[in-house]
Amino acid sequence: MIATAGSQRRWRRIFLVVGAIVAAYALLAPLSSLDAAQSAGIPLLTDKFWFRIATYVVMFVVLATAWNIIGGITGYAAFGNVAFFGIGAYTTGMLIAKAKWPFLVALPLAPVLAALFAALVGLPLLRLRGHYFAVASLGVGVAVGELVQNIDYNGQPVFGGASGLFLPIYAVGHRGLFFFYLMCGAAAVAIAVTWWVLRSRFGYGLIAIRENEDAAAVIGVNTTAYKVAAFALAAALTGLAGGIFSQWNVFINQDNTFPIEYNVQMILMALLGGTGTVFGPAAGALLLQLLIQFLGGSLPISLDIPFVSSEARPIIAQVILGLLLIVVVVFVPRGAIDFFGGRTRLSLAYLRRSLRETSL
Amino acid sequence: MAAFVQLVILGLLAGGVYVAVGVGFGLVWGVLNIVNLAHGALVIVGGYITWQLFTAFGLDPFLTLPVDAVALFVLGYALQRGVINRIIRAPLLFTFLLTFGVNLVIVNILLLIFGSDFRSVTPTYSGQGFELGGIVIPYVRLASLGAAILLSAGLAFLLSRTRIGLSIHAIAADRDAAQLVGIDLRHAYAVTYGLGAACAGVAGGLIAMIQAITPTAGEPYTLQAFVVVILGGLGRVSATVVGGLAFGLVEAFGQSIPGSGSVFANAIAFGLMVLVLVTRPQGLMGRLR
Amino acid sequence: MRRWAVIAVAAVATVACGGSSPGEQTTGSTIVLGAPLGLTGSLTKESTLTQQGYNLWLDWINARGGIVVNNVKHPVTIKYYDDTSNANQSAVLMQKLITEDKANFLLGPYGSAATATDAAIAEQNEIPMVEANGAAQSIFNQGYKYTFGVLSPANKYLQGVIDMAATLSPKPTTIAMLSADDNFSLEVAEGVNTYAASKGMNVVLYKKYKNGATNLSAEVQAAKAANADIVLNSGHLQEAIAINKAAKEQKVNAKIFAYSVGPSTPDFITALGKDANYVYGGSQWTPQVKYTPAFYLTVPEYVAAYKAKYPGLGDPDYHVAESTAACLALQRAIEKAGSLDPKKVRDALAALDVTVFFGQVKFDSRGINIYKPMVVEQIQNGAHHTVFPDSVADAKPQYPTPAWDQR
Repeated sequence: MIATAGSQRRWRRIFLVVGAIVAAYALLAPLSSLDAAQSAGIPLLTDKFWFRIATYVVMFVVLATAWNIIGGITGYAAFGNVAFFGIGAYTTGMLIAKAKWPFLVALPLAPVLAALFAALVGLPLLRLRGHYFAVASLGVGVAVGELVQNIDYNGQPVFGGASGLFLPIYAVGHRGLFFFYLMCGAAAVAIAVTWWVLRSRFGYGLIAIRENEDAAAVIGVNTTAYKVAAFALAAALTGLAGGIFSQWNVFINQDNTFPIEYNVQMILMALLGGTGTVFGPAAGALLLQLLIQFLGGSLPISLDIPFVSSEARPIIAQVILGLLLIVVVVFVPRGAIDFFGGRTRLSLAYLRRSLRETSL
Repeated sequence: MAAFVQLVILGLLAGGVYVAVGVGFGLVWGVLNIVNLAHGALVIVGGYITWQLFTAFGLDPFLTLPVDAVALFVLGYALQRGVINRIIRAPLLFTFLLTFGVNLVIVNILLLIFGSDFRSVTPTYSGQGFELGGIVIPYVRLASLGAAILLSAGLAFLLSRTRIGLSIHAIAADRDAAQLVGIDLRHAYAVTYGLGAACAGVAGGLIAMIQAITPTAGEPYTLQAFVVVILGGLGRVSATVVGGLAFGLVEAFGQSIPGSGSVFANAIAFGLMVLVLVTRPQGLMGRLR
Repeated sequence: MRRWAVIAVAAVATVACGGSSPGEQTTGSTIVLGAPLGLTGSLTKESTLTQQGYNLWLDWINARGGIVVNNVKHPVTIKYYDDTSNANQSAVLMQKLITEDKANFLLGPYGSAATATDAAIAEQNEIPMVEANGAAQSIFNQGYKYTFGVLSPANKYLQGVIDMAATLSPKPTTIAMLSADDNFSLEVAEGVNTYAASKGMNVVLYKKYKNGATNLSAEVQAAKAANADIVLNSGHLQEAIAINKAAKEQKVNAKIFAYSVGPSTPDFITALGKDANYVYGGSQWTPQVKYTPAFYLTVPEYVAAYKAKYPGLGDPDYHVAESTAACLALQRAIEKAGSLDPKKVRDALAALDVTVFFGQVKFDSRGINIYKPMVVEQIQNGAHHTVFPDSVADAKPQYPTPAWDQR
């Protein structure tokens, strides 16, 4: 491919237009399930499954975008953000199931508690750098999940224990539509916050910390306050997603609100899409979740592997997922957004150059 | 009192496995700066090799340990040389993701080959032991602790007394300077990862004797390796040995809490790890560099 | 497209052997059942057993042309998806089965966590789910109307062992109870703790441990110190193996070792060799039980069918049998309802009372089968034998368990 500034701009424009159309469709299509639209004869473009999978995907958009604030912009590789997801879920879940609060009153407390907790553990943890911070935050993630499941008071589990918490099924018309838009709202907040951070003094401070923390301190950035604020902000957004999840999913326990693999997935998404950018993590979340769902066979188009027995098919799909991850990490270490017409373009020369830059 | 001594003994014996799992993980992390999420999967590969040799040829499981080490060294060398070397200069997190992908591939290939059945190596002396003043000491666990200590000693010897060991020290200290003095970085990196994998393989052989393994059984060990390495301190084999034994003791005492017992074992272990990180980042045994 | 092909083939088959069946039966639409299962990930073993159970019934029903509803034969397909042993993904796939695949009815996933999540999906979509692998009663205490479990609830798992122990002499009187900390295992343990006293036994030690633990030495040491006659474990296969190994290492010589889950699977014997002998297990079903089925296969026929379809795997264990039983309950309910309407089938399920090879299948008002007894099996000379209750037993309990150094 011949590299000209013109072709580069054209690529970027094409991707922006396609992205906007897809986003508009995804946001408007659900409206066709409203009674008014149905009686007006508009074809039904979505069903309950569409809502379930779309809400799930958007939830990961929130998680990856939130991680980007601490991991991508500030450069602190948080590996235990799932703790905030769980805390958000349990905050809302406890208030609804035990205190009988209405959902929309209980929900705002989820990000608040998650952020408070992040500030509390962030103060000591954020003094660590590199892998040490990653491992310490992983430790917090694992420990919190375990405590939530096992804390007893007078022999009774405080947080529902191993049985988890069952919430009443939320009584609202068009339940799928409601939770989809709620999750989209959370995603919009997360993306808007990222956009604001990247354009604010605060964000410049965070980037300075990422590039060289000691130098940032010298030029007058209060690094501790900035880092803790970024950590708490990421935690609040993650907790919000958790709060919505608890009522949407109806049943929560340690397994589904503190899964360690979510830590890996949200980082993977942010890296795939490009860290430190506004839309990168969101794009990465869409890409990876759709890939996982595709290989799992739950999309309308599915993968047919010849010469493979039906028992081995799902296992092969997991092997393919692993191989794809390896290939993407090795060949596109700056993320897919970068790959598709950001600063560079799709070309063999690019692949060769990035390989040369990163390998020994 | 006897109960207390017994508890300490059991904790130390269990620590043998954690030492074996930890040394390889700590070597790769300390020298190559790679947090190897595929470590648990490599451990289980070693476990399956031991199981296969034991069931097919009736080989004594302890005799299969060198086979595990060699096979895993080759696998690890190839993995580092062929794949991981290509992103060594990329930001830290990319090795997380790469090794996560490698983990997924290995686990599922094991699932294809061996299925999901629980396998365990049960030689005739399995579960036997001797008694010393009311304290029970099982042979297999004692021997596995011995094997883990031997493995660590061998690794420490290799690192301090051989040419390749010196190159490994050199790249740990300063990669680019090492290259300047003529060290073949690609080879030295691959050997280091291969040694880490070989240790994992030996650990797997020991694990196959004391529990039942499945393709997914390695994942908890990856998590535990984090704690072991941090507890002891990164960068020295002897520190990892202390970390592994300490982890075994923490686990044993956690289990002995009346009633709720070990439900908090992970919370205690990880909480302790966070505490060590925050207060003594160089580990219990480490020196500040 | 494929569905029409199935119908066409079925139709041709019906025409080809036309007149052989009494009454005129035509072939109707295919009934689609669906189940998300952990075909990869940490629950692969148990999920595979579940799938085997479902498929055994599927072959049988389709060989007969399908489920008969008002003299119309409906062939059956079961759609499976891999939830990678992740409960959240299980919920996504449940919803896909309902909306995209138009599953008429649902079969359960494996495990109490996934079952709890999926029960909420079934409830919101008002599609009946018959499950066989989530025994935690908390699932059934939510007032859900569309979830039915064919298996005995968790709290019954080890009560059979206590009933059996009460008949033995010298009668054991003290119990050390070890339990994993997941919802199913804790309910099993609570079941023992509340029941033991009524049989004149005393729980002298109750210890919980982390679900999935592989090193349980200190727990076993505590059981040894308690010097209990009975050592009970409520956990899973991995923990059962760990406890048995540690018990031998530390020479814990209890009169009875009994584990909730584990001893019934062939893996327990292959992993432990002769150390597996004398161990008791609470079981939903064993190949030796003697129930008179109202329909489907008898117990020996079922075992033979399993061995023919899955050669080399030994006898079917209870995970397989209970999964088949879930299909049978659904089949009978559809036949009784005389309709494929989810609400009518739900009502038929609620009113169901039938005995099959698995035992009596009948649901209480919450939807769980509290009517079928648990049986106790013991491993004797490397083989499973049913030892309690006497009415279904094929061997006497080998009691007391000999000391480790006298085996």
